[in-house]
Amino acid sequence: MANRFTQALLIALALPAIAVPLACLLYLLMRGLPGFDSNLFSLNLGESGFGSSQGIMAQVIGSLALSILSCLLALPLAIGLSLYSRLYAGPRSNSVMQHVLTTFQSIPPLVYGLCGLVVFVHLLGWGISLAAGAIVLAMIILPVLTLNTIHALERVPSDYTDAARALGMSPSRVVWHVWRPRAWRSLLTGLFLAVARTLSETAPILFTATVFSGASWPNSLFAPVTSLQTHIFYLAQEAVDENAVARAWSSALVLVTLVAMFSLIAHLLNRRRSHHG
Amino acid sequence: MDSPALIATADNIENTLSQPTPSQKIRVEVSELSLKRAGRVILNKLNLSLADTGITAVIGPSGAGKSSLLRCMNGLIKDWQGEIIVDGVASKHWPAGEDALRQHIGLIAQKPTVFPCSIADNVLFGIRGKKRRHDNSQLIESCLKQAALWDEVSDRLNHDAQTLSIGQQQRLCIARALAVKPAVILLDEPTASLDPRSKNKIEASLHGLAKTMPVVVVTHDLDQVRRLGGQAFFMCDGTLIEQGDSETLLNTPQRIETREFFQWSVCDCPSDADK
Repeated sequence: MANRFTQALLIALALPAIAVPLACLLYLLMRGLPGFDSNLFSLNLGESGFGSSQGIMAQVIGSLALSILSCLLALPLAIGLSLYSRLYAGPRSNSVMQHVLTTFQSIPPLVYGLCGLVVFVHLLGWGISLAAGAIVLAMIILPVLTLNTIHALERVPSDYTDAARALGMSPSRVVWHVWRPRAWRSLLTGLFLAVARTLSETAPILFTATVFSGASWPNSLFAPVTSLQTHIFYLAQEAVDENAVARAWSSALVLVTLVAMFSLIAHLLNRRRSHHG
Repeated sequence: MDSPALIATADNIENTLSQPTPSQKIRVEVSELSLKRAGRVILNKLNLSLADTGITAVIGPSGAGKSSLLRCMNGLIKDWQGEIIVDGVASKHWPAGEDALRQHIGLIAQKPTVFPCSIADNVLFGIRGKKRRHDNSQLIESCLKQAALWDEVSDRLNHDAQTLSIGQQQRLCIARALAVKPAVILLDEPTASLDPRSKNKIEASLHGLAKTMPVVVVTHDLDQVRRLGGQAFFMCDGTLIEQGDSETLLNTPQRIETREFFQWSVCDCPSDADK
C-alpha cells in the first residue's frame, strides 16, 4: 500500500516535468509545421512584409557561424586550462580554478553581452559583428567546456598515467598517447553540448553580433550577421503581420531541431563512451 | 627472549651487513632520504645502497613506506629530502631530465596496467615515436623472453593485451619496462594476488634480470624473499630497521620489530587501519 502511494506520488511529481515540455513541443510543431514552405530555407531576403516572406537560410548560417566560431575559440582555451589543471596546478589552485569557473558559469549571459558591447563593439570599434558575438559566446561556454574537459581527463584511470610516467614518458606524450584516446569522446560530447548552448543564447548576441535586416551571408568577421534566435525575437516582438508570426514559429521549430540534433549527437557519443569504458 | 647481545643498533647493522662487496660497483646510493605528506613522516632519513647486480627485497608492514621509497627512486615522487645518487649522478640533477631518469630506473606497479592496445604495442609503449617506426620485432622478442612471456604470446602479438591473464599482464608490464632499457628495475609487490605458477614465472624472470642489473622487489611474502635470495631490507614506519643477506635476515633477525613482523604479530608500527 505504502509502495503504491509512493509510486503514485512520484508519478504525479514527474508528470508535469515531462508533460509541460512535451506540450510546448507539440504546440511548436502545430504552429511551426504549417509555415514550412519551399521558400523557408531559401536565401531570399524579401524586402517587404517584415520578414514574413523571406527565407531563413541566412539566419541558419549566421547562427551556425556564431556557434562554430565561438567553439573554435573556446576549445583550445578549455583544453589548455584543463591540461594545466591536470598536469601542473596543485590541489589549492585547482580548487580555486574550479570555483572561479563554476562562478563564471552562473553569470547571466546578458552580462557577457553587455561586456562585449562595451569592449568589442565600442572600445575596440569592431561594431556589431560576427567576431564580437563569437568571442562573447566563447566566453559563455568556456567555463562549461573547461569543466567538462577536466572531468573527462579525471576519468582516465590514474593507473594508466602512473604507468606511462613510470616508463619515462613526458607529459606531452602522456597527454597524446594515454589521455587523448580515452578522453576524446567525452570532449566531443561537451563540445556538441556547447554548440547546442550557443545556439540557444539570444541576449548576448543581440547586443554584439546580429541585426534584423541588411545582412545575409557573414562575409567578414567584422560584419554583422543575422541569426535564428534574434530573428524569432524580432518577428515575435514587433510584427503586426500574422504571416510574420507564423514565420517566427517555423523559425523556432528549425532552431529547436538544430539544438536537439547537436544534443542528440552529444548523447550518442556519451553512450558510446559508456559502452567503451 | 630479546637478549641485548642480539639487538644491534640500526646504524651498526647498516654498516656491517650485506653492503655491496668491494668488487661490486655501487649503482644506486640513497642518503638521508626523507619524505613527508600532510605533516606525516613517510620516510625518515633512509640510507641504503644497491650494487650493480642482484636482487634486493624490501619487506615490512603496510604503511612502512616501501612503495614511497620506490616512487622516490623512480622520480614519480619529487618532493623528498636527502640524496639519491644513481650511477654517480644526483637524481635531482639528472642530465637528461626527470623523464630520462624514470626510463633509467624502471618501476612496475603492484596492479598490472596494460594499455588498451596489442601485446606488441604494449611492449613498445614507452618508446619514442621515431624509434617505434623501426622494425622492433627483435626488441619485442627479447623483452618478452626476459619477462618469461614469449612462449605464451609469440603467436598472438597483435592480440589485445587486455585479454591476457593477470599474471601474464604483470609479465607484460615487466617486458614493457625493459623495452626502454632501464639500468635498475623496481617492482612493487609484483606477485601479490597471483597464482603460484605466475609467481614462479615472475621470480624466474627476476633471477634472470638480476644478473645484469639491480632488481628491487617490495614484497610481504617471506617465502618469496627466501626464494629470491640476495639482500633484504626491513622497513617499519618510514625507517630502515634492518638489512642484510636475505637468508640471514629471515633466520636471525636482530631487531624486535623484524622478529615480530616475521611472527605475523602486530609490531609497534601502526597498521593501515590505524592510519
